[in-house]
Amino acid sequence: MAIAKADINLCKGCRLCVGACPVDAIEPLHEVNKKGYEIIRIDENKCIGCGMCYVMCPDYVFTVE
Amino acid sequence: MAIRKKPEMINQQVGWCGGCGHGIVQRLIAECCEELGLVEKTVQVVDIACAYWSIDTLNCDGIAGPHGRCAAVATGIKKVRPEANVYVHAGDGCSYVIGLAETCYTAMRDIPITMIVVNNGTFGMTGGQMNPATTLLGDKTVSSVKGRDEKAAGKPFDMLKILETFDIEYAARGALYDTKHINQTKKMLKKGFENQRDGKGFSIIEILSPCPTNWKMSPVDSMIKLEKENELIFPVRVYKDRGGEK
Ligand SMILES: Cc1ncc(C[n+]2csc(CCOP(=O)(O)OP(=O)(O)O)c2C)c(N)n1
Ligand code: SF4
Ligand code: SF4
Ligand code: SF4
Repeated sequence: MAIAKADINLCKGCRLCVGACPVDAIEPLHEVNKKGYEIIRIDENKCIGCGMCYVMCPDYVFTVE
Repeated sequence: MAIRKKPEMINQQVGWCGGCGHGIVQRLIAECCEELGLVEKTVQVVDIACAYWSIDTLNCDGIAGPHGRCAAVATGIKKVRPEANVYVHAGDGCSYVIGLAETCYTAMRDIPITMIVVNNGTFGMTGGQMNPATTLLGDKTVSSVKGRDEKAAGKPFDMLKILETFDIEYAARGALYDTKHINQTKKMLKKGFENQRDGKGFSIIEILSPCPTNWKMSPVDSMIKLEKENELIFPVRVYKDRGGEK
């Protein structure tokens, strides 16, 4: 089954993906990336590969494959 | 095989602020151009404002029009390169304020380009001034510090109501506040590009989009404002679809 992968180096911490995920598989973290933005983590056990995170993210962090 | 993957037409990182709608718009444009096989023929016309970030990021021909004159620049390109897929990516300041004349004359002449207007209710690039066409009454900006007041600055106005009265091909408004509306907006954009490919007339797609930096709100709250406040004044719908008879 397809699941989402995140390139967290691209993340800008907007958190829009968190609310877009229908199964609450995206967790907002306080950990920051090299750019200094607070990143997210995908719970691979919860992800159903629906691609909503891809549709919402303005910084193209997600690939669903 | 990837089911959802960033379009190859996008070859650099996004320059916009975190949570800015321009990045979603850029991706939708790239997806449409790739899916319609138009990348090689595409000439983007971006405004000297926040849309400008696309000029180096998208792997296609392009030019930055002087601020406000994108529709006129695109008209010129389409006249000399009628086979090209010419689109404008500009803000609501460019399209409805400083460049309102250019937008109206391009519509009046029914030039077969695709014009994409990002309605973020403010002059984003210059630090968040009031946009006379799109800033809501009561909204605080750096040039309406106590909130936009009708007596001092008039009311916002739905420009698509004017533009639909011209003999143009297509006018519609989309929004970015949730995935359902992003997908709907993509269909509108695709229609705009298909109209041009099929030799039909002027298509304009306006998109309700957040500017969290200048609204001084979190990206999540900005999306809520778009849905609960801005959409009341700027409804999401198709205003005109001439259907190609001409
Ligand atoms: C002829 C001219 N006048 C003014 C400016 C300054 N200026 C740059 S961007 C901008 C407004 C941008 O607002 P908008 O078109 O809504 O785009 P946004 O940045 O919000 O996407 C202005 C007034 C300019 N660059 N050129
Ligand atoms: S939508 Fe994209 S940029 Fe925003 S928090 Fe999620 S992964 Fe990061
Ligand atoms: S693919 Fe769907 S389920 Fe998986 S993280 Fe993205 S939005 Fe959530
Ligand atoms: S200033 Fe506003 S419109 Fe410009 S990049 Fe930042 S959030 Fe986007």
